[in-house]
Amino acid sequence: MQTREDTEKFLADLAEYALGLATRFGAQQAAASVSHMREVEVAWRDGQLERLHEAQSRGLSIELYVDGRFASVSSSDLRREALEPLVRDGVAMTRALEPDPYRQLPDSARYPDPRRALDDADLQLSDPRYAELTALQRREQAQQLEEAARSVTGADKILSVSTSVSDSRSTVFRCDSQGFRGKRHGTSFWRSAEVSVQDPDGRRPEESDYHGARFLADVDAPALVGQRAAERALQRVGAVKLPSGPRTLLVDARVAGRLVSALLGPLSAASLQQQRSFYTGELGQVIGSPLLDLIDDPFVPRGFASRYFDGEGLASERRPLLQAGRVANFFVDTYYGRKLGRVPTSGHASNLSWRLGDRDQAGLLASVDDGLLVTGFLGGNSNATTGDFSLGIQGFAIRDGKLAEPFAEMNLAGSHLTFWQQLVALGNDPNLLSPLRTPTLVFADAAVAGG
Amino acid sequence: MGDRGLSWFAPFGVDAQLISRVLGEATARGADFADLYFEHRTVRSLGLEDGAVNRAYAGVDLGVGVRVVRGEQTGYAYSEDLSLEAVLQAARTAAAIADGSPMPRTANFAIQPVADRYPIRRPWTEVSTADKLPMLRELEKQAFAADPRVKKVNLSFADATGAVLVATSDGRLAFDLQPMTLLSLSCTAEHQGRRESGGYNVAARDDFSFYDPSRLDRLVHRAVDRTTILFDAVPAPAGEMTVVLGAGSSGILLHEAIGHGLEADFNRKGVSIYADKLGKAIAGPLVTIVDDATLPHARGSINIDDEGNPAGCTELVVGGVLQGYLHDQISAKHYGVAPTGNGRREDFRTQPLPRMRSTYMRPGPHSRDEIIASVKKGIFCDHFANGQVQIGAGDFTFYVRSGWLIEDGKLTQPVKDVNLVGNGPKVLEQIDMVGDDLLIDEGGWTCGKDGQSVPVSQGMPSVRVGKMTVGGRG
Repeated sequence: MQTREDTEKFLADLAEYALGLATRFGAQQAAASVSHMREVEVAWRDGQLERLHEAQSRGLSIELYVDGRFASVSSSDLRREALEPLVRDGVAMTRALEPDPYRQLPDSARYPDPRRALDDADLQLSDPRYAELTALQRREQAQQLEEAARSVTGADKILSVSTSVSDSRSTVFRCDSQGFRGKRHGTSFWRSAEVSVQDPDGRRPEESDYHGARFLADVDAPALVGQRAAERALQRVGAVKLPSGPRTLLVDARVAGRLVSALLGPLSAASLQQQRSFYTGELGQVIGSPLLDLIDDPFVPRGFASRYFDGEGLASERRPLLQAGRVANFFVDTYYGRKLGRVPTSGHASNLSWRLGDRDQAGLLASVDDGLLVTGFLGGNSNATTGDFSLGIQGFAIRDGKLAEPFAEMNLAGSHLTFWQQLVALGNDPNLLSPLRTPTLVFADAAVAGG
Repeated sequence: MGDRGLSWFAPFGVDAQLISRVLGEATARGADFADLYFEHRTVRSLGLEDGAVNRAYAGVDLGVGVRVVRGEQTGYAYSEDLSLEAVLQAARTAAAIADGSPMPRTANFAIQPVADRYPIRRPWTEVSTADKLPMLRELEKQAFAADPRVKKVNLSFADATGAVLVATSDGRLAFDLQPMTLLSLSCTAEHQGRRESGGYNVAARDDFSFYDPSRLDRLVHRAVDRTTILFDAVPAPAGEMTVVLGAGSSGILLHEAIGHGLEADFNRKGVSIYADKLGKAIAGPLVTIVDDATLPHARGSINIDDEGNPAGCTELVVGGVLQGYLHDQISAKHYGVAPTGNGRREDFRTQPLPRMRSTYMRPGPHSRDEIIASVKKGIFCDHFANGQVQIGAGDFTFYVRSGWLIEDGKLTQPVKDVNLVGNGPKVLEQIDMVGDDLLIDEGGWTCGKDGQSVPVSQGMPSVRVGKMTVGGRG
């Protein structure tokens, strides 16, 4: 196997070569990114190894700014003799387009300190012990996940257990014609189990649990993950459809990201400029209750979306997104920022940091007389232009502060313009498995459809 | 092997000798079978935004996937580097699934007959940016002219040409050229201070002649009409009621309610709600459902599947009775049946799985008008966005961008943005009227499974479902 240094040198040399080609064929500005990823997955099912998947993947993409026009090209064929026609044809393709005065590389004053761009070691995104994990260990962990699932009370109802142990290591190098040079490393490790159980009514409900981290030592033990998966699946037996009507709704921290992501997309300058956003575009617009405080935090140690620069090289910063329910920042990239006359921030979210409540989920449940805990979303969609949304839900009824029967085949609908003002409490339990890091959220009077 | 066979190797820069050596390495530790999937795909796209065709993309994807199968166990590796050394290394990695002695293997390849369902006259590689640009500008102009409330128009155009070569350890060699094109028009309109967005798209395995004047006219007017009708929409009701599905893209109901549940991998694992239903009545007698690879130029059509097997029209449900599953090679062996040509994959980086192609319901005896007239209170849906299903519990949803309230047998007011929720077997039993107006939707549908996307088509006649949960707020 190549050493990490060899891989890095290969990526950097190739990106510089591609950048040189772009300039040679007539691009006034250009940027090149080259990535390398190693990924391994062991899948296990019902007492035997099901699948081994292992590969090293590479790819190159180049942004071309030619005579006031813009295009991009990419390829997985990294042979130098293949890159020349790719870039030459790419430049010719760019010239055939109509001009776009807003397309330029970012203002280089917004690039990070060059040393930080090339060394993100202090963000701890890459486990130095990555290479120590062996094929045999992965296989044993996959087996342990199943054994743990089958050890729970009620395991005789289990129809099938599928488990997976996977890890990846990636490196990306980016350079542009204004002198930006940036490098990013990352590792991640995941363990998951999916369990199907027999419901006496003929259905075969499935549930899963998973855990992962940037560092192997931070991942929950296979025994814990497997056991939780089986317990969650068995709790789905006997699910019913409940009546339609407004309810107090707890949304489990694990799945609340489904709601939050619909709140973030329309905060982008691209959505605003294209008039596909339910936000007015004014800072200070009230979108949620005073409890809604969200910060975009790119510097979380070991965070899944931590970074010193974003996809176009802009230096990352910690920025409030929503403060006491009011819009405090938008996601502004260079291109749409120029179109709107707004200062660029970054076009995309990194990690979210929430103002948490002081109770865990059980504590939040205790104060609900009649409500629902949502533990899963099924399909549905959100209209970014108007804020209307409608999502399939499943979970558990809550009665007198306690979890009651499971429910399924139901739906939650609302408008993001009013729904977040019904946010009445947040848990102290952020889900660190997603960059959205959502805690359990509690909404009053949510519109639920069922029988 | 004739000249035709040799020319197949050209896109990949490999030869029969390399393929044979790599298959030897893949089966060196024993296997039931092994296969190689070579892929070379070029994709180009153009975008129009704010009055100009001002963005383009071109991409090349080249590589090989190596799969080694022993029983129901799979070893998989891939390489973007097609040098002998790199591909042999991938073969060794995939072979780690097995631990026995070398498998006996034929040294001769038989070229597989391949259907010709998407012949094209002019390859996409010969169509330049300058050829496409005037069409996009004209469509933009027409969209603005169609309704003064239209404020933003976006167009995106894509074409792709894929060459795939499948070589198997049992000596099959199959080659296919797979064209694809997609054109999407979306717009945002403004009316009395409110904004709505909508759109329409068309896709096919076809050449530039696919974009004939009537199709382009439909693209513009459907996109604009589907946007402006939203200004008149009232909130959808909440709760259980009768649902009428319009002909065409409501095939999404079949895709979610039964299609995924009949993918044989879920059934051989015993995790699908349809796992023990073969030969049993699972729907009303009017319901006949097929999954068809043969529709000329359809987005979901394939000449061969991604395991090199012939792909035809598979009957899933006939007169309400479950006939069979969608198979790949592993599940076909498990069930002792012939593969149905449903082994598909996103690209060479992923292993084949049982997947749908064009899934639709055969027409029935009722007219659309008589179906709508039969409903006292319910909703009519004819414009869909997306859906999802839980294979084991059978619960599924699909999202309706716009539809109509039905009151006393008449379409009265538009509704929008509402999710419909049902349970597969329960909903199939509830289909009690089937129209005579089967329509295969021309849109660019994409199906996701295990993180892999593949192009599919779907179709439906008008259908009445006695009862489903409508996820509105009203």
